[in-house]
Amino acid sequence: MPTSTEKIFSEFKEHSVAEFFKKNKQMLGFSGKTRSLTTIVHEYVTNSLDACEEAGMLADITVKIDEIEKEKYRVSIQDNGPGIPKKHIGKALGQMLAGTKFHRYMQQRGQQGIGASGCTMYAQITTGKPIKAVSFYDKKKISCEVAVDLKTNSPRVENLIEEETDGSKSGIMVEGEFADVKYDKSSFGVFEYIKRTAMANPHAQFTLVEPDGQSVTFPRSIGEVPKKAHAVLPHPLGIATNDLLDLAHRDGENSKIGTFLQNGFSRISAAKVKELKDMLPAVDFEKPPKELGWADAEALVKAFAQVKWIAPETDSVIPIGREQIEKSLQSILAPQFLAVTERPVKIYKGGVPFAVEVAIAYGGHAGRQVAERHAGDVMRFANRVPLLFDSSGCTISEAAKEVDWKRYNIKNFEEEPITLFINLASVYVPYTSAGKQAISNEEDVFAEIKYAVMDAARDLQRYLSGITRERDRKERRKAILRYVGQFSKDVVDLAGEGKAAELEKKLVNLIETKYSSQIEEDEGETGAPKENGNAKEEEDIEE
Amino acid sequence: MAKRSVNSSKDAFAKLEGLGKGMINEINSGETPTFSASLRSKGNVFYDESVGYIRLGDKMEERRFVNVGQARKFMQTVAIANKCKKFLSEGAHTSIRGLFYQLKFTLGEDLDEELFSEQSESNPLVEDLEVSLELKREDLNLNTDRKGVVAGPLVLKDKFGGDETEIDCTKQGRSGWMIPSDVDNGMDFVSVDADYVLVVEKDAMWQRLNEDKFWRKENCILITPKGQSSRGCRRLIKRLANKKLPVYVFTDCDAWGWYIYWAIKTGSMNLAYLANDIATPEARFVGVTMQDIKDYDFLGSLTIRAKDVDIKRAEEMLGYEWISRHKEWVDELKTVLSTKKKIEQDALQGPRLSFVGEYLREKISKKKFLP
Repeated sequence: MPTSTEKIFSEFKEHSVAEFFKKNKQMLGFSGKTRSLTTIVHEYVTNSLDACEEAGMLADITVKIDEIEKEKYRVSIQDNGPGIPKKHIGKALGQMLAGTKFHRYMQQRGQQGIGASGCTMYAQITTGKPIKAVSFYDKKKISCEVAVDLKTNSPRVENLIEEETDGSKSGIMVEGEFADVKYDKSSFGVFEYIKRTAMANPHAQFTLVEPDGQSVTFPRSIGEVPKKAHAVLPHPLGIATNDLLDLAHRDGENSKIGTFLQNGFSRISAAKVKELKDMLPAVDFEKPPKELGWADAEALVKAFAQVKWIAPETDSVIPIGREQIEKSLQSILAPQFLAVTERPVKIYKGGVPFAVEVAIAYGGHAGRQVAERHAGDVMRFANRVPLLFDSSGCTISEAAKEVDWKRYNIKNFEEEPITLFINLASVYVPYTSAGKQAISNEEDVFAEIKYAVMDAARDLQRYLSGITRERDRKERRKAILRYVGQFSKDVVDLAGEGKAAELEKKLVNLIETKYSSQIEEDEGETGAPKENGNAKEEEDIEE
Repeated sequence: MAKRSVNSSKDAFAKLEGLGKGMINEINSGETPTFSASLRSKGNVFYDESVGYIRLGDKMEERRFVNVGQARKFMQTVAIANKCKKFLSEGAHTSIRGLFYQLKFTLGEDLDEELFSEQSESNPLVEDLEVSLELKREDLNLNTDRKGVVAGPLVLKDKFGGDETEIDCTKQGRSGWMIPSDVDNGMDFVSVDADYVLVVEKDAMWQRLNEDKFWRKENCILITPKGQSSRGCRRLIKRLANKKLPVYVFTDCDAWGWYIYWAIKTGSMNLAYLANDIATPEARFVGVTMQDIKDYDFLGSLTIRAKDVDIKRAEEMLGYEWISRHKEWVDELKTVLSTKKKIEQDALQGPRLSFVGEYLREKISKKKFLP
């Protein structure tokens, strides 16, 4: 999707991009030292994952973070993807908005800020150093340094060395030095980001080498590359005025607005165009799309809402998949219990398909540890990308909060070893802002998330009440069993016959077999002796 | 109610063993051990007009070992039974407090639990055993505190601690013979050569009458329970009544004194399970009565004000069917309530110290009793 970022940049092209960047970096994910580092890793990891998936390869990504000095780090990312051909290296790493991912209406990982080039620029303005890149592509190893020419927003590639290889290795390694960043293990940090990315991408393997030299690997748990997303035409419902304007202005194929609508959207037929024309006599459908103005676009969007449309196709939505989520969460959280809910594709705003997947992991490594105590954890994802920031304004958090956890045997979500994994898959994720860290409160999306969480919570409840029941049963039996020894001794003594050990065996057997179910259903309280219910009488008698 | 067999520690021993054997049989035939006893809750206590005392009804309570709520109590009950069997075979006695300390130990190093941790747990289980085995705790070598004193023509043989002593209650001087906890086991009547039994509420009054040798002059057995009567005292009165001696009770003229009479006569609610052994329905009330105030002029000026507890007790007693069925007693109680007056037995010493004797002689010879 075209973004407001792009527009801003095109306007600022003549001015200092760097200056703009400095002023607006928080908008692009470079706000706060920890977050900035996470953003850098995210940009590179996303590129790697996308490149591998597109090439049909199973990604193997290593992230290494070294501390150079306080708040100054070297970040290097290496993947086993197809690599980047020589002529594209500069553009890929040194030119803002040069990526191929904009302008396509398909499910993809959200771009946060401005991609790898943004990282290059961040390195330049914080350390003054270019990015080092090594690309193995088509029997060649290309090593170079890439910088952004801040005046012209064009890549500057230097010290390029090209070597022949045997072609056995492919992929890219990018390394940069960044300051004004910080590595920590908070829930906003790189570690958490990689862990969550691994959870949502079980087909990829991640290794993180932390500044202290510790290496953590999140192994691949699925051997299949996810189904490729395909570009689809947008549905007339769910489109905003400026989106329509963007699409029209970028259109190069149609000579008239009428044909642009018919060819550029799904479900707009010739008949529907005629219907629109009848509704909007003031709009000239014969004009070239490039001449579509704001007022007409607005009128069209309003008219779209009046027309009855066939619902959009839903095959553009690619969820992670139940089995995939199960395997990855088992592998990473090793929970005692795991429930995954996969909801069918639904549509919001009448025209945007989406699907919600929810997993609840309980016990094991699920949940957060807060000062030796468990705490519930809500992990938000949009198209497999973990959303670490802005949780308070996010409809996922809101929906999770609205669930009445007590109904599901969770006394206090904040104090349980529980991880709630929620992925929203959609061609068009309704983010609240350009930061793309929170999802706006679309009613249909909110409801769907809530239902999905409740679905999974019901499974959890069954599991938990099973545990309670079983524990209770065992305790009831145990409450009796603890008295068997003493009782057997005494009763044998009392009767003056029999052997205590034999009797004890028989009693234990009776308790565990014949009377087992009866004991489990007994109403009686265990433990403390009850008050004797004898008649009380005021009597001055000493007994 | 089944007749209890008393004064046989051999019998108690056999009953205890039988209890254990029954439980082992149950286990061997694949059943949970059970323990049954009459229910002692208020709902199963009633006045039985045909026998004239308060006793337990037919409601039984069965406890099962394989029940979460009952297992601990069950184990505890058997532990008490076993311990009592040991006391019996050793011929040693102790109190229920001593019993508790014998059984206050941990169930095992791995179990953070004691067999008993409070005496309030063991006390009711002792009663359970008494009821279930139709025995008194005294039969299980469990003593209660002694209370009550006897003087008069009664000779007993006391086998205790390996010795055998003959006790002549005419030769106990000023202090009298103190009634032991157990007046059955190892305690035989050698001779009971009296015309009646007189029970006087207060020790002071007993001392007065003893000094006057009232019991010798009247050929009666003079007993004081020293207030409310103990189990042993009631049991002794019952045994004497069984010897066909009339029993007369002499208490203060107030609700509390009268209640002491009724406890001797009909038993009490929380000892209902022992009523057959300790209630003496034949007992008669000799005084002091409200009527006496009219009959003896000097008493009129010797009344004192009834206290709130006296009033309350009088009201309660009016509600007891075994009391309210006697018109004489209803009148007495109503007089207490209307005059708010009471009179102590000590008041009969008003004219002269020996007047008490004269008073009793007159009332007994004229059979001026209340039922």
